[in-house]
Amino acid sequence: MSERIARLTAAMDSLYEFDREPVSPDKLQSGGKFAGLFAGEHVAATEFVIGAFFVLHGVGARDLILGLVAGNLLAVLSWTFVCAPIAVRTRLTLYWYLRKIAGPGVTLVYNIANALLYCVLAGAMISVSATAVGLLFGIPVPALDSVLPSNAGWVLITLALGAAFTAVAILGFSKLSRFAEVVSPWIFVVFVAGAIAALPRLGVAPDLSNLWDVATTEIWNGVAAAGQEKFGFWHVLSFAWFCNLAMHIGLSDMALFRYARKWTYGLYSAFGMFPGHMLAWLASGVMVAAIGREMHPGLMAYEAVGIAGLAGVLFAGWTTANPTLYRAGLALQTVTPGWPRWRITLVAGAATTVLACFPVFFLKLLDYVAIYGLVLMPVGAIVFAEHWLFPLLKIDQYRAEKRGWAFNAAALAVWLGTLAVVFALPVHLYFRWLPGWVIALASYTLLMAARRSR
Amino acid sequence: MKRPFLSRLAGALSLVSLGLGLAAAVLAFLGRLPEAKFKTAFLLASIAWFVLATGRKLGGSARGPSSG
Repeated sequence: MSERIARLTAAMDSLYEFDREPVSPDKLQSGGKFAGLFAGEHVAATEFVIGAFFVLHGVGARDLILGLVAGNLLAVLSWTFVCAPIAVRTRLTLYWYLRKIAGPGVTLVYNIANALLYCVLAGAMISVSATAVGLLFGIPVPALDSVLPSNAGWVLITLALGAAFTAVAILGFSKLSRFAEVVSPWIFVVFVAGAIAALPRLGVAPDLSNLWDVATTEIWNGVAAAGQEKFGFWHVLSFAWFCNLAMHIGLSDMALFRYARKWTYGLYSAFGMFPGHMLAWLASGVMVAAIGREMHPGLMAYEAVGIAGLAGVLFAGWTTANPTLYRAGLALQTVTPGWPRWRITLVAGAATTVLACFPVFFLKLLDYVAIYGLVLMPVGAIVFAEHWLFPLLKIDQYRAEKRGWAFNAAALAVWLGTLAVVFALPVHLYFRWLPGWVIALASYTLLMAARRSR
Repeated sequence: MKRPFLSRLAGALSLVSLGLGLAAAVLAFLGRLPEAKFKTAFLLASIAWFVLATGRKLGGSARGPSSG
């Protein structure tokens, strides 16, 4: 068993070898690069769904705007005060830093969990694209409460798209990545132009005199669609904050911020949050209201801007599913040593394609995003405790590395224990991560302090 | 598109095409452009963006931080 773990971790290390050393000063990047990167990364296919779901969940206009401002501000502050300082001090990716703290075995478990979560996310993006292609063939989008595929046409479309996305991820990942850089500013314009063009259909006068009236009565009118839970200010604030929980509090964006000159570069995440997670969400809310509150991203974009809108939804899904598939493949490669890159991407793509057939993953996207963040959040708390609290409390740091532990049992126990506690907490799913983070932070510190005294 | 001038020109024109797409949406909102014409104009502006921005990308060599 231990030999198998050693073999797996050696294979895993070789995959990440290129970023093993801390980033050298000559490789640091300007703030503008971070602004561009965040702006491009946070206008994705999922924005078509998230903003529309706020309308279906009956959020009021005032609650939505205040919740988005506050939640996105908290997300920016989380990148700035939690993720960026650790990245700038260590100049390491989370992978290598976690390896020092929790041992290669825990890092392996983290990688596998990440890969599975990535596959589901990529599957949801394929489903969003399928709504655009399906519209061309008259294939209906599954109903809001669907779990299983409702018709053969939907299955065929998602299988075809999944196969195409996987083939491109295998054959031309880097080319599509460059294409994605071209696509992302245009997709943002599709959102903005689509919302502007949809406003007259909702009755907004050209002088905007009744804009607020229309917003509060026709778009975010506070009435939830049948079968949808009613959301308010705190749901929106919490969602906007944890939407990228794995990246900021979960610290996976250490991979980016290790290139930052200063920790204050975390503030550049505002260039992703406010255009992407505020304007684009508001825009998709307008578009879904204009088509009678039907959860159909393809139809929303088509009615708003025509054929270009369909291309927008298709490309948004494609260009965001592609790196997600690539990352899933990279993470899964750690447990399949010796497999060529194409084969593991094929396996990840096949799994993702099958998941995409099940509409539940895109129709329950908000809940899935919450679960995704919850699962990875305790790892961020463990690293935060080890980095900041241990020196203050004079607890020995990096014991897994110093003593050659494959598994830091305390880290693994805290991770699993925190997940058990948060999933049992009697509060709404969206409000569980913060108490969970505190529980993970405190319990890991106490466990490691107790180990010190022993 | 290897020359910086052509690359910069393509970059500037690609931004103009995005601006035209947005302007068409504003004109449609104001009722000065019928919906069908707006959609055609937006499609043409989109095609122009893809041609010009891809040209600029092929000519440029700037790279952002790796997400390693």
